[in-house]
Amino acid sequence: MSQDDDAALLVAFQRGDEAAFRLLYERNARSMIAFCHRFVRDAARAEELAQDVFVKLYRMAGRYRPEARFKTFLYRVATNHCLNEVRRAEFTARASGPVGDDQAPDLDALPSSAADPHDEAVARSLEQAVLALLGSLPEKQRAAFVLCRFEGLSYDEIAETLETSVSAVKSLIHRATVSAAAALAPFGPGGGEEVRS
Amino acid sequence: MRHVVDELTALNDGALDPAARRAVEAHLAGCDPCRAEQRRLSGALAALARLSAAPAPSPYFSARLAARLAGEPPRSLVGRLAAWRWRLALPAGGLAAAALAGVLVIRQQRGLELAAAAQLDLLQEYETIASVGDVETAEDAALIASLDSFEREGAR
Repeated sequence: MSQDDDAALLVAFQRGDEAAFRLLYERNARSMIAFCHRFVRDAARAEELAQDVFVKLYRMAGRYRPEARFKTFLYRVATNHCLNEVRRAEFTARASGPVGDDQAPDLDALPSSAADPHDEAVARSLEQAVLALLGSLPEKQRAAFVLCRFEGLSYDEIAETLETSVSAVKSLIHRATVSAAAALAPFGPGGGEEVRS
Repeated sequence: MRHVVDELTALNDGALDPAARRAVEAHLAGCDPCRAEQRRLSGALAALARLSAAPAPSPYFSARLAARLAGEPPRSLVGRLAAWRWRLALPAGGLAAAALAGVLVIRQQRGLELAAAAQLDLLQEYETIASVGDVETAEDAALIASLDSFEREGAR
């Protein structure tokens, strides 16, 4: 099934087919959980956020117009929800003072395809570096970067999702990628001096 | 030609139009620093590609979500209730008159409950509007303004 099938399922739901909505979230659950995980660093919380997104989608399905891309409609809801969650968490963290170890990434919850202990350690270290990188990015850069690098959206789709211009998306993704190059240098094939234009 | 660093990410992502892509590639052919930067950026993308696959949903994800959705008013039911509301209005009017005295007695208590419920409804609506990122009506704008004010007062 394609993205167009997702749109057809949402339209079917608009007409009262509740089973279509169930199929819709079952098809998109895994990618939505992964998306939310890039914002909250915690597997259980990511699942809760993904559920919130589908509940919102359920409530707002009437706003969807078939001529719009389902993917951008879904990710617009998800991005706004995740950024709100990040802001809420940052506000709470500021209000409650310094954070402890309980705020560390839940790396044990992350699966790894590496069988060798050394490879597994490297994979975990990489995952931690990426989580730290994402946490350090300004929120729009972070959203654009996640949508591009992990969800595979095109620049056009990201512009539609974030309700901004393609040139702004190009700049957001470039700046985030430059930050990624610095943060992930130990994991790349080689380094190099950064060149300023 | 000035360095093309700002174009390299779009080049790697295949997001440049053909003319821009040719110009950047021509520059890269003769510019060692820009080629080095391109390798650096490509290295980051290669590292990201090595990340583990996304975790699978927990076994009860769908069941939990289905339970949450079961608490939502079914869309078809909402329509039926809207239609029945007027048919129920007439007999309900007589009952309402008979119950008026009793209602007056408990009005103050009920008023407090309704105010609390309305506040929750407003907050939910606020969250929904905020999540879509648009404000379609003057009513939405007024609602957001009042809740923003409420939030500011609460923060003090």
